[in-house]
Amino acid sequence: MPSDLERAMETLITVFHRYSGAEGNSSTLSRRELKQLMEKELASFLKSQKDPAAVDKIMKDLDANGDGEVNFEEFVSLVVGLSIACEQLYQKQMKAAAKK
Amino acid sequence: MPSELETAMESLIMVFHRYAGKEGRSGTLTRRELRILMENELSGFLKSQKDPTFVDRIMKDLDANGDGEVDFEEFVSLVLGLSIACEACYRVDLRKSQSWNL
Repeated sequence: MPSDLERAMETLITVFHRYSGAEGNSSTLSRRELKQLMEKELASFLKSQKDPAAVDKIMKDLDANGDGEVNFEEFVSLVVGLSIACEQLYQKQMKAAAKK
Repeated sequence: MPSELETAMESLIMVFHRYAGKEGRSGTLTRRELRILMENELSGFLKSQKDPTFVDRIMKDLDANGDGEVDFEEFVSLVLGLSIACEACYRVDLRKSQSWNL
């Protein structure tokens, strides 16, 4: 029986590969695949961005090796960054709740 | 309804805080809390390590700011490293299963 943490890690891999196989290199996300992934899996985050070029900017930021595609290591750094931001919000909420 | 990816991110945060609140500062893991987390949540990985001081070495590696505790940002770098290693194995398996289909 996988733990919650192992299941979360597995989800990162299966979600990435669900989108990465459609076009181009089957182990990386093209720009179109990244956009589709973010629209379906990170819809709230994407809607909160005012900039219509947010996906392009994120693509450029994530593509550390400059090959025009996003590999899993590059993708997971986005997830880590978002998780850290969410955890900071969570801590603020916990502290606010503790004061009441 | 949160997506699978959002649920996974939430799990990372909830797992961390499930263990972080008991001793030391409430938003960080002490060495004991990290060991308990790894024993319960990463037992397969931990058992594969032969070195009995492995948790101590992980603690030292993760504690980037040197305060003797592991915060969420430091913890999530462990998850990142493990996920990348697991994904590399997954791609090898994927290639094997694809070659079977050919």
